Parts: sequence; C-alpha cells; structure tokens
Amino acid sequence: METGWYPVALAEGLERGTSTGTRLFGRELVVWRDSAGASHVWEDRCPHRGMRLSFGFVRDNHIACLYHGWQYDTAAQCRYIPAHPDLAVPGTIRVATYPSIERLGIVWAWNELDSAAPQEIELAERAAVTPVRSLYVDASAAKVFDALVLAECPPLKNAGGATQRSRTDALVSFKNGTDEILVAVQPLSDVEAALHIVIAGSPDIHGSDSQKRVSAWGEALRRDVEGTPQARELRHEVAP
Amino acid sequence: MQGATVIVFTGQFHVESFVEFVNHRARRLQLEAMIETATPDCIEVAVSGQPALVDAFEMACSLGPIDCLVRDVRRKNA
Repeated sequence: METGWYPVALAEGLERGTSTGTRLFGRELVVWRDSAGASHVWEDRCPHRGMRLSFGFVRDNHIACLYHGWQYDTAAQCRYIPAHPDLAVPGTIRVATYPSIERLGIVWAWNELDSAAPQEIELAERAAVTPVRSLYVDASAAKVFDALVLAECPPLKNAGGATQRSRTDALVSFKNGTDEILVAVQPLSDVEAALHIVIAGSPDIHGSDSQKRVSAWGEALRRDVEGTPQARELRHEVAP
Repeated sequence: MQGATVIVFTGQFHVESFVEFVNHRARRLQLEAMIETATPDCIEVAVSGQPALVDAFEMACSLGPIDCLVRDVRRKNA
C-alpha cells in the first residue's frame, strides 16, 4: 500500500447532511458532508461500540452514531452522549480521521490515519468539472491502470487528433482536442477498485449527452478490465 | 487507588489481550484503571473517574476482545 492521496467519492454525490461508507485498501471509511458544506473522511467506526458511522445521521455539524446516538463534531471529537446529557465528555473520545480535500469534483483522502498529510495534493484544479459517475470494478487498481493507459478517449464536443493520456498518482487524464476526461482510481481492496469519472469543463457544455457517452465508455472499460465478452462490442457502440 | 470501583470480570481470558483492551478503553474514557488480579478466569480492575464513564467502561469491557469470553461482571464494593 503506497502512501498518498486517493479518491474516495464524487463530490457532487455527497450531499450536505449525508454520509456514505467506502473502503480504501480494505479499510472502512465514512465520508460525510456537514451542513456548512465541508466534507470529512474518517475511520468508519464509532469509538463507543464499533458501529459504522456511515449508518449514522448528520445533524448540522455533527454526525451521530446510529447505535447509541453519540455525536461527533467536525473535528471528530465526541460532544454529546444522549444517555448522559450532563456528562463533560472527555477529549479522549474521538474518531480517527484521514486528511481530506476536494479537488476536480472528487473527494480525496490521504491514506494515513490521524496524520497531517505531509504533502499537498498535486492535482491542478480545473475551472469547472462535470461529474459523470462512480463505477465499481472487480479488479485491482493496478489492472485498471493497465487498461486505462491503452484506452481511447470518446469524442465529446471538441475532439481532434489522437488521445493524449497522462497519469498523476491515482488520476488519469485523457485529452482529445480540448476535451478532457479525468478518471480517478480508488483501490478498494487488493481485488476491487472504484473509478470516479469527471469531464473537465462546465455542465453547461458537457450536459447529459457527454455524460451519457462517457458513462457508457466507463462501462465498456469496466467490462474490458473484468474480461467479460461484451466489452469489445460496447466499445464499438461508443466509438466515433 | 482511593474511591475506585473494583469491577470483577469472570470468564475465559487471554490475560495479555484483555489487559490491553482494559487499558485502551480506560484511556479512551479518561479513567484511571489498575489491574488488581489477572488470571485466565478472572480479571479485577480498580477504576476511577466520572461515574457515567465508569459505567461505559464496564459495558465496553463486558464485550472484551475477540479472543476472550466474559461470562459475568460484578462490582466488588457495590
């Protein structure tokens, strides 16, 4: 497991006041967004009885465990225990956290618990991005990268010439003319990965037509990686 | 440890594992804990701190780590 920044969710899919569970290298994470709009990535485990916090509820700037209602603030500190409303909750009761940031319409986490990320994320922000979808693949992240370096970029609005691919850590960029598709790869485990796909550019330009095209391209890629026989056929469907 | 509550856990224990669990939970709940007895069938812990958190400690330790089985919990001086 290499230390670094990894994608854990599409930012747009994480609405204010909601939480979701995911995995990174087999470890369980809760990703949640508070009412002020900030996203958080923590260990998916209530310190009280080990219940997944992703099953809990977000209320204002707290996430509450589903089991006994222990509430944690945005710094992961337990602030309220319903069974003991007058208790001064000790500072030692807190959830383990991952450094996180939003970039390119994706939530990224540094995969070391309770650390300060030793380096800034190196991905340059785009003026705007259009989210496409997250896809789950029954294959390792390494196998997904092997397929991505051979993949062709589907034509969108301003295609021209050959596809140019570049990789920065967990992100692969496909450029064709001024079109750009960005695919972030999340290693869920040794044998599973998630792709978080966005298009560089405004949703006003890359509305549903481009999104559908890129979504189908992602599905074809997944079939290719997983080795299902329809892969080649579907790739022809989305080819120019 | 003055004013401490002594909690007696009986069952089947890997002593090292249960003691580590007890100390971890005590730190998390900001309690002072001292192991008074530690055998494969009985662990006695003197614990002091906020009463509500002593209750939470007892509840947490009643589950114990995966390699231990707590059959009974009682308070010695209750």
